[in-house]
Amino acid sequence: MDDPRLEIGTELRALPRRMTRERMRWYVDLLPTVEADDGRVHQAEPTIHDDDEFAKSQGLPGIIADGMISTNWILSLLMDAFGEDALRPGALSTRYIAPVFEDVVLTVAARVTSLENGTGGALRYGLDVWCEDAEGRKLTVGKASIQATGSAAARARAPRFTISA
Amino acid sequence: MATGRYTSDLETGDVLGPVEFTLSPFVVREYCHGNEMHHPWFQDTDRPMVPPTMVHLQKLRLYTHACPAGTGPDARVHVEFDATCHDVVRAGEKLRATGRVAQRYVKRERTYVQVEIDLRAVEGDRPLITYRDTVIVAYKPGKVEA
Repeated sequence: MDDPRLEIGTELRALPRRMTRERMRWYVDLLPTVEADDGRVHQAEPTIHDDDEFAKSQGLPGIIADGMISTNWILSLLMDAFGEDALRPGALSTRYIAPVFEDVVLTVAARVTSLENGTGGALRYGLDVWCEDAEGRKLTVGKASIQATGSAAARARAPRFTISA
Repeated sequence: MATGRYTSDLETGDVLGPVEFTLSPFVVREYCHGNEMHHPWFQDTDRPMVPPTMVHLQKLRLYTHACPAGTGPDARVHVEFDATCHDVVRAGEKLRATGRVAQRYVKRERTYVQVEIDLRAVEGDRPLITYRDTVIVAYKPGKVEA
């Protein structure tokens, strides 16, 4: 049987994604939609994330992505690797060290930095997490702690689709 | 109770809330869809798990409650998200969020505000997420405080 552990130093990388204007707006409109919680999608007031003129009036060269998009893409990679365990007791912190401008191509990554036995046979992973641009420059950095009950290695190899003849 | 006109007026020690609310499956699915998190525990169940990142939006709920005039003329810029998850949160659960301004400080000519948010299940006062949020209150230069 395969060792279910991810060794210290193992790096997980998601497929690159372009931070389009649409992706920025999807997040912006979530803010009033979640607050209203009335079964309808609401449109936000102009922000530095979706309105060029407003962003320029605030001293920015153009719109920038809300940092929480990067954080959620990091969480998404952790869920791909660790499943629902990424939502159970643990921790995630992210620091936005450089703005993400329109059409920047981001790659989300995580590296295992520690591994110890948790409770009930689970494994407690510590990870460095980050988003980098196409030149490998880190724009968001952070850390995560996850108590894993399943095999992250097996999940990482699992196909995302099935084929039947 | 209002603690300031704008969110940029918040001072160290200000308490925001508490506010009580539930997150419907609709908003959890919309939030996850908007962030391209198409995992089955969000989209293919009647009672989705709530991603811990949604705690950030509870800060905005507390802002609305505490600062009726909203953000004000200057755009905030989010600089740090720091959440510790104590238990699973699910849609439909009655929740209580309380915020406290932990710090307001100046660094490199910009004013930062750090808010700590405690999210609990109303039933049993069970801790769910502890969150520390750090923002620059005005990105535009020239808005720095003494």
